[in-house]
Amino acid sequence: MIDREWIVKKTLFVLAMITVLGIILIIFFVARESVPAFTEAGPANLFSATWNPQSGQYGMLIFLAGTLATTVGGLLLGTPLAIGSALFLTQMAPRRVRSIATRGVELLAGVPSIVLGWLGFTVMVPWIRSATNSTGTGVLAASIILAIMVIPTIATISKDALEAVPESHIQAALAMGATRWQMIRRVLLPAARPGLLVAIILGMGRAIGETMAVALVIGPATAFPTSLTTPTHTMTTKILIEMGESTGVQRSSLFAMGLVLLLLAMLLILLVRAVTRQREAAR
Amino acid sequence: MSIDLESEVEIEGPEVEVAGYVRELKDDRVEKIIQGSIARNEKKARIYDRVATTVVWTLALAGLGILAFIIFVILYRGIATALTPGFIFGKPEAMKEGGGIWPMVVSSFYLALLTIAVVVPLGIGAAVYMTEFAREGRITGIVRFGADSLATVPSVVFGIFGMVLFVIYFGLGYSLLAGALTLALLNMPTVMRTTEEAIMAVPYSYREAAMGLGASRWETVKKIVLPSAMPGITTGVVLTMGRIVGESAAVIYTVGLFVRKVPVSPLQPAAPMAANIWHMYTEGALVSDWMRVANGEAAFLLLVVLVLNLGARLIARMYQKRLGMVK
Repeated sequence: MIDREWIVKKTLFVLAMITVLGIILIIFFVARESVPAFTEAGPANLFSATWNPQSGQYGMLIFLAGTLATTVGGLLLGTPLAIGSALFLTQMAPRRVRSIATRGVELLAGVPSIVLGWLGFTVMVPWIRSATNSTGTGVLAASIILAIMVIPTIATISKDALEAVPESHIQAALAMGATRWQMIRRVLLPAARPGLLVAIILGMGRAIGETMAVALVIGPATAFPTSLTTPTHTMTTKILIEMGESTGVQRSSLFAMGLVLLLLAMLLILLVRAVTRQREAAR
Repeated sequence: MSIDLESEVEIEGPEVEVAGYVRELKDDRVEKIIQGSIARNEKKARIYDRVATTVVWTLALAGLGILAFIIFVILYRGIATALTPGFIFGKPEAMKEGGGIWPMVVSSFYLALLTIAVVVPLGIGAAVYMTEFAREGRITGIVRFGADSLATVPSVVFGIFGMVLFVIYFGLGYSLLAGALTLALLNMPTVMRTTEEAIMAVPYSYREAAMGLGASRWETVKKIVLPSAMPGITTGVVLTMGRIVGESAAVIYTVGLFVRKVPVSPLQPAAPMAANIWHMYTEGALVSDWMRVANGEAAFLLLVVLVLNLGARLIARMYQKRLGMVK
């Protein structure tokens, strides 16, 4: 009996450790594949601004810039909508509207990114094209799509953060004669700030990692985005499009890009942990 | 000292009581200033409140509006195609019009079931360990960090990792199995978290009762905790199915993009719908009606996800009815 318990416990422990093993394997294999890029092309080449595999230049700065621009754009558009929705759901929505809206956020989270990208490609890009007299693809289109992608993430986590603020704080503020907005601005939002920050960081992670939806509306082109509506590339879209038809150092440099994405993701997680630890220390 | 509970500041005559001291006022100018500034502040606060409320309502409705618009447009553009039997059960055409997507439909569901078969034991096992067996400490911290990290890795990185490890290194080739193993890793954090939440919701007294009757920890988990947590677990699994069906970036370099034949064995390459829409976008011009096919495929994919979402909710409700649980 005791023995069986021990076996069960160890087995479950092994299953739990698969998460750790998984992330280690991912880092190891992606790093291993990117070794040739670092040894044969070298870091200076990899982090330069020119991507031209024919002449042996594998700079990823263009794609870093594309990732950065679309992520910032998506967050700027998406965050107000998402936190607004979270405030609405926790503070203002009538009971019936709340349940419908909550379900709506869940559904939005479930829309496959390829479907959203297809909608962007067939409906939104033509709109932007006719409105701005350009190709219609690029940072603007990608930002709009990314905003839609990050709304569920940011809204859901923000909602949890707002709900975690003790009711007594809210009631106290209202009892002091504060209007609802004063209460939200002076009590609710400051109290939930760490949680909201975590929501935005994780939303950022989604935006950086989003591939398909962006790939359909970004252009694509290997050039720095000179305006909001010029075709460009992000790191994820570059990997997606070129991995299938590249070999040697070029393929390896795509893996190096994947490694940079991985490190970015880990960095965000460490950030989230730092923020939450701060909150626990403050209590 | 009596406290004045009325909202207005009452000032009678030329005397005013401030913090216990009676002060003489030369005239009522001070009082007017005080009253006026209170009134102005209150008015300003009320206006701010109203404006802010309007803004928040607008933001939220805009969000919902966007969602409704997305679903409506996708369905509007493709539903007529998506719901014709000839399209769903038809063979794909590479040269002429009127192709269907049957192999892709099968591929999607095959991949989803295969992934679920791998990820559910892993995710539930890990969740049970974290909630019932592990003490909060270094180990759980490490596992959490692993799960959190996995959850933020971009899916295209999962794709190239799966390609290197499963497709090439393990020699599986582009296949449903390689894709399922990759997606199992991708979805493990989600299954783990939803299962943990469901387990946490089981009242502690249940465990105490079982242990009190002499059950071991594992027996308690197996016979009491997991059955009680089943609705939550099932909901999580069904939602995960929706995510697998919609996943494409991690699938393209592990499973494939386009096939003609319905896949039979897990070792064969396949073309899930999501990956096939990408194929249409990149190679579309091969068939003149590629837009029709992709529109139909997108609508059908969205329908599947919507049905799975509704299904998850229904399952949860059914369980609750049967168990008589009130939530």
